[in-house]
Amino acid sequence: MNKKAGPLFYVFLAVFVFLVMFPFLWMLTSSIKPIGELFGADAFNPFTSNPTLANYESVFVNYPFVKYLWNSFVVASITTIYTVFVASFAAYAIARLKFKGKTLILGLVLSVSMFPQIATISPIYIFLKNLGLTNSYLGLIIPYTTFTLPLSIWILVTFFRKIPFDLEEAAKIDGASLMQTFWRVILPLAIPGIFTTAILVFIAAWNEFLFALTINTDDAYKTVPVGIAMFEGQFTIPWGEITAATVIVTVPLVIMVLLFQRRIVSGLTSGAVKE
Amino acid sequence: MEPNLSRGNKTDTASVKKKKKSGESKAGYLLVAPALILILAIAIWPVLQSFYYSMFDLRLANPQKNAAHISYQVDLHKYLDNYPFLINLIDEEMSEAPGESAEQLEALKVKLEKADEELKKEGSVKEKYDQVDEKLMVMKPVSKDLAIAEVEKDAALQLEKTIKEVNEEAKKIKGLKNEEDVLGLASSLDEAVIKPNFIGFESYTEKLQDKRMWLALKNTTVFTVISVFVELVLGLAIALLINKAFFGRGLVRATILIPWAIPTAVSALMWKYLYDGQNGIVAKVFAEIGLVDNMTDLLTSSTGAMFSVIFADVWKTTPYMALLLLAGLQTIPSSLYEAASIDGATKWKQFTTVTLPLLKSSILVALLFRTLDAFRVFDLVYVLTGGGPASSTETISSLAYKVMFEQSNFGDGSALSVIVFVCVAVISMIYIKFLGRDLLNDK
Repeated sequence: MNKKAGPLFYVFLAVFVFLVMFPFLWMLTSSIKPIGELFGADAFNPFTSNPTLANYESVFVNYPFVKYLWNSFVVASITTIYTVFVASFAAYAIARLKFKGKTLILGLVLSVSMFPQIATISPIYIFLKNLGLTNSYLGLIIPYTTFTLPLSIWILVTFFRKIPFDLEEAAKIDGASLMQTFWRVILPLAIPGIFTTAILVFIAAWNEFLFALTINTDDAYKTVPVGIAMFEGQFTIPWGEITAATVIVTVPLVIMVLLFQRRIVSGLTSGAVKE
Repeated sequence: MEPNLSRGNKTDTASVKKKKKSGESKAGYLLVAPALILILAIAIWPVLQSFYYSMFDLRLANPQKNAAHISYQVDLHKYLDNYPFLINLIDEEMSEAPGESAEQLEALKVKLEKADEELKKEGSVKEKYDQVDEKLMVMKPVSKDLAIAEVEKDAALQLEKTIKEVNEEAKKIKGLKNEEDVLGLASSLDEAVIKPNFIGFESYTEKLQDKRMWLALKNTTVFTVISVFVELVLGLAIALLINKAFFGRGLVRATILIPWAIPTAVSALMWKYLYDGQNGIVAKVFAEIGLVDNMTDLLTSSTGAMFSVIFADVWKTTPYMALLLLAGLQTIPSSLYEAASIDGATKWKQFTTVTLPLLKSSILVALLFRTLDAFRVFDLVYVLTGGGPASSTETISSLAYKVMFEQSNFGDGSALSVIVFVCVAVISMIYIKFLGRDLLNDK
């Protein structure tokens, strides 16, 4: 379907983009308002004549926000590296080797990825508590495996299947062992797919809320989503700081999305679309 | 492979192939093993464990019920932290108490000592008793494994009965110098006996009659059905509209991805600000166009709150839906549309006869993922409405969370989470039936 896009189409696009982005734009303009203009008549005025960075300053001065960012970064990075590593072996085997029961294994992986987190949380919480792992990085990395590992296997299988099968035959004829074929021939070709998977896994781990909320309750180990959600005071909601914090976490995501959009889309739709 | 001349060439290659094949399967299992073990240990075991916990009266805040036990047990740590001191105290009191009270105290002591003798006779207690005692003497920490000893039901009940009697009788004794201490020690002794907290399916029968559970299940269903349906229709419309070559594709794609990429908790907080009854711009706009009567209705009335939650979810995930469907649309060869238009099919006819049938599996996959995702919704509700007002947006996951972590009732909470799990399993089975094996096959 290669129809030409008319001017009306661009109007529609502009409206669509505006509607989707509106909440972010509003957060951005609110975040630079002085506190008084967040309430009352000025609250509905999109622009302020007294822009200030006071809210941003407060986020870093009055809250351990840098700590939250660091915690999220550590947990999401370690989770990503280790799950993608384990998953790439499994996905390679499922996609390219012949053995009995691999459809069953893939089915298992898919069903586990659909497990509601709430169904696993009570044993995991009690287990981590008994081991003294609540309020630690490991306390989140372990439960995050429940959704990141199936996700990575699922996406990687699709990528591994796309690599031409003749390559293995050729490697075999040249006398390469199975592991040599994997490391020297297949893996280099799968790097883009692995990178894509890593981006998606990182985002999933970065955004996780339920485990982070229940397991790491100490400020020193809170992740960003929980940290921001807990900004709320007992009596007042510090909207100024919340808008600023939202902008701070959104900006890197916007940059990441702009840089890797093609990869993210191919990762999201892999496995969901039969080509 | 050594050539075997006595055999025919054919069987030889077959055996080589067979050997290669079995080597390949071995490698296959070996490569899958780490992932499989992790999945079994971290995802499947906890689900089974949740089911197991759901059959116990498990309360983390209650020391006698903070673990699941099927058998009667004695907490020797607790017991030995009290028993020797109680005996000492009774001795002390006896030397100073008037005649009648002294006799009563003597009787208590005899009773306790007899019970103590009986307890020491119990199988697993024998070894542990002295070890725990020694450790307590030198103030060393006592591990849980060492402190808890399994005892026969009769013995446990007997010990409990004796302790109860001692408690009763101690209250009657007059003229004690340290009455409070005696009674305190005697009643803490009571906590040493741990009864099994196995309750079978009681939590389930209770939950199935619980109005709050049904309300949560209803809310979850309403949220799931409406939000997924709206997302599908809007997503399909957007996918159809942008399935063409145009300037600025990258920008539109990035726009689509941003709501998907930000943490749900953060987007929920953002919408909470936009919906705010006094200062929220979206609330103001909705009130102005007559969608709601008052700005405050959005978060403080039950329909308003449900609408707000659904609207925020539609905003966040419609783009994702559109993306999945767009990818599906792009796999439909344009020659089919050309053929259809040559045959004189109208646009609508093309949509129903070409687009929809070929998009069916993409739609079903997108629906499957979205339905399951929506059914387990937690962060959005927890941050945006907290389940309120008056439980009107409480979902089954947020209810389970509250029961577990706010009431620290892990038995009931686990039962609820098993209910969520069963619902999710049923939903996916229905979808998989429609999808067939499409999802898993190689081609």
